[in-house]
Amino acid sequence: MSAVTAPRAWARATTKERGQTVLYHGFMIVMVFAYIFPALWALSMSLRTDENMYAADQLIPHPITFEHYHRLFEALPELGRYFGNTLLIAVIGTAGTLLSSSMAGYALARFRFPGRGTLLATMLLTLMVPVHATLIPQYVIFRELGWLNSPLPIIVPMLFGTPFASFFFRQYFITLPGELEDAAAIDGAGPWRCFFRIIVPLSGPAYLALGLLTFVSLWNSFYVNSIYLTRQDSWVLTQALQSLIGRYTAQYGAIMAGVTLVSLPILVAYLFFQRWIVRGISMTGLAN
Amino acid sequence: MLPQVIGLLAFTAVPLVASLGYSFTNWDLVAPSPTFVGLDNWQHLLGDDRIPAVLWNTVRFILVGTSTLLVFSLVAALLTFTPRRFVGVYRAALFLPYVLSQIAVGVVWRWMFNSQSGPISGIWELFGGTSPDWLLDPATAMPSIAMVTTWQTIGYGMTLYVAALQGVPVSLLEAATIDGANRWQRFRNVTVPMISPTVFFLTVTSLIGAFQLFDPVVAMTSASAGPATAGGPSNSTRTIVLYMYNQMFNYNEQVSGLGYAAAIAWMLALLIFLVTAVQFLVSGRWVHYEDPTASGGRRRRRARR
Repeated sequence: MSAVTAPRAWARATTKERGQTVLYHGFMIVMVFAYIFPALWALSMSLRTDENMYAADQLIPHPITFEHYHRLFEALPELGRYFGNTLLIAVIGTAGTLLSSSMAGYALARFRFPGRGTLLATMLLTLMVPVHATLIPQYVIFRELGWLNSPLPIIVPMLFGTPFASFFFRQYFITLPGELEDAAAIDGAGPWRCFFRIIVPLSGPAYLALGLLTFVSLWNSFYVNSIYLTRQDSWVLTQALQSLIGRYTAQYGAIMAGVTLVSLPILVAYLFFQRWIVRGISMTGLAN
Repeated sequence: MLPQVIGLLAFTAVPLVASLGYSFTNWDLVAPSPTFVGLDNWQHLLGDDRIPAVLWNTVRFILVGTSTLLVFSLVAALLTFTPRRFVGVYRAALFLPYVLSQIAVGVVWRWMFNSQSGPISGIWELFGGTSPDWLLDPATAMPSIAMVTTWQTIGYGMTLYVAALQGVPVSLLEAATIDGANRWQRFRNVTVPMISPTVFFLTVTSLIGAFQLFDPVVAMTSASAGPATAGGPSNSTRTIVLYMYNQMFNYNEQVSGLGYAAAIAWMLALLIFLVTAVQFLVSGRWVHYEDPTASGGRRRRRARR
C-alpha cells in the first residue's frame, strides 16, 4: 500500500476498522520487539560497563564503553587475520560458485546431449547427499595435497560449482525465452558468446540473489572450516568467536563484542540487500 | 560448459563412492595408508550403543524443532502476508536472525539461557516458577537448542509461506464464503490444502537439516575451543555429525578413525535418503498440487509450486 493512499483509507475507515489497525500494529510491534530482543540485548551488552552487565534497565547502555572491544582484540590479537581469512573464502567462493554453477546450469537448461536426463536426475539426487558423506575422501585428498590449514579445501570445490546453485540457475534459465539466443546463433554467435552476452546480462536478479545467499552462508559457516582449518592462524571468524567460550565464560562483554563484530558486515549487507536476499529465498523455494 | 557439469558431479559422486570404500578400512591418519578390515566398522556400528543415543537426540530435536518451525512460521506469515503499511518492516525484522551465523546466535542464546544471570530464567522466576537449568540439564538442553534453531529459522519459513499464501486465489476463498464457510473452515479447507506443498517442502528441508545438526550444538554446549567437547550435558545433545566428527579425529573414543567415521557418514546419508523418500511416498495423501475444487468447466489453477 502506498503512502499516499493510506491516509485516505484511514480517513474513510470506521472506528472499528481503525481500532483493528491500531491493535494489529500494536501487537506486531510488541511481537517483533520481543523477537529481535536477543540481538538488541547482545549489542547492548557489548557496550556496557562491567558493573552494568547484568542490569535489567540497560538496554540502551549508560554509560557506553568500548572497553569490551578493546579486550576482544587483546584476547584475539589476530582478529584482523581471521577477518581476512573469512573475507577471502567468502568472496572467492561466491565468485567461483556463481560463475561455474551458472555455466553448468546453462548447459543443463539449453543443450541437448546424450544422458542429459540421467545427469539431471543424478544432480537432483546429489542435492540430498549430505556434505559429511563426501567429506572424508576429500579430507584425505586435501591432506595429501598439503592444503590443510589453507582456504583451498573450501574454495576449490566451489570453483566447480555446487549442485544446488547449478540447479537454481537451470530453473532460472529455462524461464528465459530462447529467441534471443536463436537470433544470435544465426548471426554466428557460439554458445559462449550467447551465454556471456545475452544470458548473463539478463540474469542479474538470479546472480544477485544467489550471490548474496552464498556469501552469507560462507561467512557464517563453521562446520567445514573446523574440519580443515585447525591451526589457529588459519581460523575464520566463527571459529575465533567459538574459541572465546572456553576462555571467557564470565566475560560476556567481550563475547558479545565478538558476536557484534562477526555479524556487523552481514547486517550491513542485509540492510542494503534485504529485498534480494528474501527474493533469493523465495526463488530457491520455487526451484523445488 | 559440459566439463562444469561433470566436475560438479565428480565432487559429489566420486567421493561418495570413495567414502563407502573407506568404511571398509581402518585408518587413524597416522599410519601411512588405510588397512582393509572388511565389515568390521559396520558390525561395530550396529553394536555401538551410542548410535541409538545420538539418533534419539536427533529425534528429540526434530519433535520440538520441526513442529514449532512449521507452526510459528505459518503464524508469522499469516500476520504479515496481507500487503499493508509496515508489513515489510515486520517481515524484515522477523527474517533478520536467519542471516546471522549459528555460532553467533548460539553464543548469545547460551547467555539468554544462563540460569544465574540470563533473562529467560529471570522472566521465568518473575512468574513465580523455579527456572530449569536449560542447557545444563539433560532433559531440557536439546529442546532448548531446538527452540533457538526455530527462532533463527522462522523468517525463512515465513518467507516461503507468504509466497504460498499470496498464491491462494481470492476467488476460491470468496466461493467458500458464499457456500457458508466460516473463517476457520476457509482456512482449514481452502488455505491449508493450497499451501500444503510449502508445508511439505519445509518439512523435508527441516528434517534434512535436523539430521545434520552441528553448529548450534557446538555454540551452545562446547566448553573449549573447537567442537571436541560439545554434546553435553551427559551427551544429551550429541548429534550424529558431532559423533562422526569426534570419531574422525579420535577424540577419546575406543574404536575410531576415518573408517568408522565414513561408516557413520554413510549411515547418515542413507537415513536422510530413506526419511526423504518416505516423505515423498506419503506426500500423495496430503499434499495437493492441484486446485482441490477445480473441475469441469471451472478454471484450473495450479498451486504456486
